[in-house]
Amino acid sequence: MEDNLEYIDSYFKGNLHPDQTKQFEQRIANDRNFAEEVTFYLSAKQALKKEIITEKKRWFKELAEQNSSLSRVRQITPVRKLWVYAAAAAVITCIFFAGYILFIKPVSPSQMAKQYIEKKLQRLDVTMGEKDSLQNAKWTYNDGQLEVALEKFKRIVQADSSNFDAKIYSGIVYLRLENYDKALEYFQELEKYTSHYANPATFYHALTLMKRNRPGDKLEAKQLLKQVEQNDLEGKKTAKQWLNKW
Amino acid sequence: MNDKDFVAGRIGMETNHTYFILYFVFINLEDEHASVKFLKPFIQTDEREIIDNILQNGPERKKGEEHLFHRYAYFIQQAVYKYSLSREDAFDVYGDTIISAIEKIIEGSFQRRSSLKTWIYQIFHNKCVDLLRKRTTNKQSIHRTVSISDLLAQFTDPSKTIIQELADKTDWDVLRQKLNQIGDSCRRLLLLWADGYSDKEIAATLEYKTADVVKTSRLRCLGKLKQLYKTT
Repeated sequence: MEDNLEYIDSYFKGNLHPDQTKQFEQRIANDRNFAEEVTFYLSAKQALKKEIITEKKRWFKELAEQNSSLSRVRQITPVRKLWVYAAAAAVITCIFFAGYILFIKPVSPSQMAKQYIEKKLQRLDVTMGEKDSLQNAKWTYNDGQLEVALEKFKRIVQADSSNFDAKIYSGIVYLRLENYDKALEYFQELEKYTSHYANPATFYHALTLMKRNRPGDKLEAKQLLKQVEQNDLEGKKTAKQWLNKW
Repeated sequence: MNDKDFVAGRIGMETNHTYFILYFVFINLEDEHASVKFLKPFIQTDEREIIDNILQNGPERKKGEEHLFHRYAYFIQQAVYKYSLSREDAFDVYGDTIISAIEKIIEGSFQRRSSLKTWIYQIFHNKCVDLLRKRTTNKQSIHRTVSISDLLAQFTDPSKTIIQELADKTDWDVLRQKLNQIGDSCRRLLLLWADGYSDKEIAATLEYKTADVVKTSRLRCLGKLKQLYKTT
């Protein structure tokens, strides 16, 4: 029988010649005793494998008890979970913070003024085709040459002291150059031109005060904006929006 | 993915933080292959050491198995939280996972296309789900028969059928009982053989003179077991 076991063992270890392998399988089909021996060989191996698994499981239990790895796990896992919760909390906080910044947080008057200047006073409307000195000065302004533009506007005012547009543009250039006091001089003077159609001087006066932001400027600017709104002056729509955010 | 991206990926993976995030994503993808298609294999040094040890039969293998068991033991607690398993069940599933992983590593089924952790977690997750499924379909109480089908791969179909029919008649309880009666040295020798050790490796582990001596002893032990089993 041991001879057969050796033969069977050789087959499963792949030590037989292909012809012998064929004969081996034919013998299984023709010799029941041999087939039973082969079955026993495999069954024994399988039973041993089950034993190995049982022993390994027992060994794992011993390892767990000896090393208390499972108790360590208890500490690790909540930390990992906490990390996930912390990440989620951070994301939610960021969303709320961004929402607050974008939609809820009140904007200061000086920020509103800054945004308006950046958005609305970067360029002046020019009339295509007309080549008078005012248009020329406005082109210079739009090219970003503020000082040169200012000189051109001032020359027009010197030539014609009643030129409302040249004066208002001079005030705007001073505002862009952050020379607020000079800008205010122009706008305050122009506020007196009550008969002028669509006079934005009061609005620009308020805008300059908001941007300058010295003590008392905000309060005065607010009063001026109220005037713009109540008297239906140029800039009424923006004044109303700013007053709502104030 | 180009080489530059790959290098960048590897550099990124060097930091534990990125490493954790990537694994967190991989694990939740629940598809080992999908998770690694866009990244080259990344096996940590200690993972490689575990695999290498398991592949060496002898004391190194035991060391590798022990290391592997400890390495991901925290999965047990995760199963308690995630799948609402009892600690005992989670431990059993984890034990099964490690045993299965060891077998697959030895067979060469682990192709290192993902990290060892991802791969083992996948096995563990599947086993947890299997257990839950068995519970919900009340199949847990069904008696589990021992099958030798795994060992029949090399047979042609007619031989397979004959052997399977004969194996179905095996009294497994008696066979296991007889295994405990063949003596300690025989039992240890046969256990190593069934665990995939070669005769040479058994000789080194159990301090036999040569592999041939092991082979002779092994066949004698098998004969003894057969004799005991037949006498019942």
